[in-house]
Amino acid sequence: MKAAQIVEAVLFASDAPLKAEEIARADESLDEDQVELAIQELRTLYDESERAFQIVEVGDGYQILTRPEFAPYLERFDTVPRPSRLSGPALETLAIIAYRQPIGRVEVEYIRGVGSAGVIRTLQDRGLIDVVGRGEGLGRPLLYGTTRKFLEHFGFASLDDLPRPEDLPVILRERTPLDQVLEGEGGGEGAGEGVA
Amino acid sequence: MESAAFSRAPTGGAAPARAGSSGRGDLLVVELDRFQGPLDLLLHLVRRQDIDIFDIPIATITDQFLEAIQGLDTEDLDGAGEFLEMAATLVRIKAQMLLPRPQDDEDEDPRAELVRRLLEYEQIREIAVRLAAAEAERGRRFGKGYVEPRPRGILVDPPLETTWDEVMAAAMAVKVPRPEARPHRLRTGLVPLEEKIQLILDALKEASRVEFGALVAPWKEKIHGVMTLLAGLELSRQRAVSLHQVRLFHELWILRRELEAWAGEVRPGGPGEGTLTEGEEVA
Repeated sequence: MKAAQIVEAVLFASDAPLKAEEIARADESLDEDQVELAIQELRTLYDESERAFQIVEVGDGYQILTRPEFAPYLERFDTVPRPSRLSGPALETLAIIAYRQPIGRVEVEYIRGVGSAGVIRTLQDRGLIDVVGRGEGLGRPLLYGTTRKFLEHFGFASLDDLPRPEDLPVILRERTPLDQVLEGEGGGEGAGEGVA
Repeated sequence: MESAAFSRAPTGGAAPARAGSSGRGDLLVVELDRFQGPLDLLLHLVRRQDIDIFDIPIATITDQFLEAIQGLDTEDLDGAGEFLEMAATLVRIKAQMLLPRPQDDEDEDPRAELVRRLLEYEQIREIAVRLAAAEAERGRRFGKGYVEPRPRGILVDPPLETTWDEVMAAAMAVKVPRPEARPHRLRTGLVPLEEKIQLILDALKEASRVEFGALVAPWKEKIHGVMTLLAGLELSRQRAVSLHQVRLFHELWILRRELEAWAGEVRPGGPGEGTLTEGEEVA
């Protein structure tokens, strides 16, 4: 049995992304490097034979997914999972958490300018974010971070796939910690560095 | 805002007056419920007027902001509070701008933190747009996995059109059932009393007395004990047997009674006294 075939069988049968190390558990003869090699082999094979699917790196693992151009055909079937779309507030909140994790609710609300408890709860219920720790300070607030499911939902292989601040039209500066900012506002003192 | 909590800013008659006072025309006719919050609204005001964000004319923007939130639904305290808080911040910055500031670098421009927040919020919004694009792109790829066919046509909940008056009327129309009209059902025992009466009579054909425990022993279910006891009581009532127990919780004996009234037939509903005779005790 060729390594590529074993890897193909495992990927074919899985309905969620698998890491190379997870795939390697299929057989004693496999290790991570061999799995990566096998995946390269399979990708070439699929491309050459014009398969309708690809091995995609998503959510910290590999998954066999159909090529995007076949979406119109598949969308006609009720038995094909319908992609879910998040609301504007949910995307905004996720964006903040993705870039600032770990981050507490109060800071999310300060950045958005609106209450966000409901959105955060919804995102947590959907498994896109989770509590990753507790912050310092009053009440040891819960801190949130994104999950593997977040990466899967947006088709990212890792957090490095997020749009980089330098690619964006507005340059996001390093922030002063929120408590210092609020202190500064209350005392009428300067809050952190000036605006360039 | 996540909900359309804000009533639309008044248009029509009110709009020209507002436009006139601001001198900016329809730029300022904003629908509050279009905005996700005060930062969104403020950013809209700044960007639509092509204002240099690093040199915001704070007095003008404050007036425009206050005007835009005239239509606030003041009953939605949470939502309105966020806009009012921003309004307060703007007014404070406006006041600080009027105070003379020393020209050293120690003191920051009062607008600095607001500008930072606006830029940051703008960037977050941009990232959210990119995330939505990534989400849409990911949605065009399908993995394995069967899902239940979606039900068609029943996804929309019918609007609730019942009024409280109707609920009240329905509640008043309910007739309270009269207690005596309520049917009372008894479950028939699975072990017939007659069977147990016969059991006792059969046992007493061979002996003049029999232990209650011996009659019950072959069965495990409590109902046999209950029915055997009832059978014993019934026979006792008909004066066919007498029940003897020396002491409380001791073995109960059923004794044959040779009496003229007893003709060997079972009369479950027959007349007789309901009391035990001759000092028998039944535990």
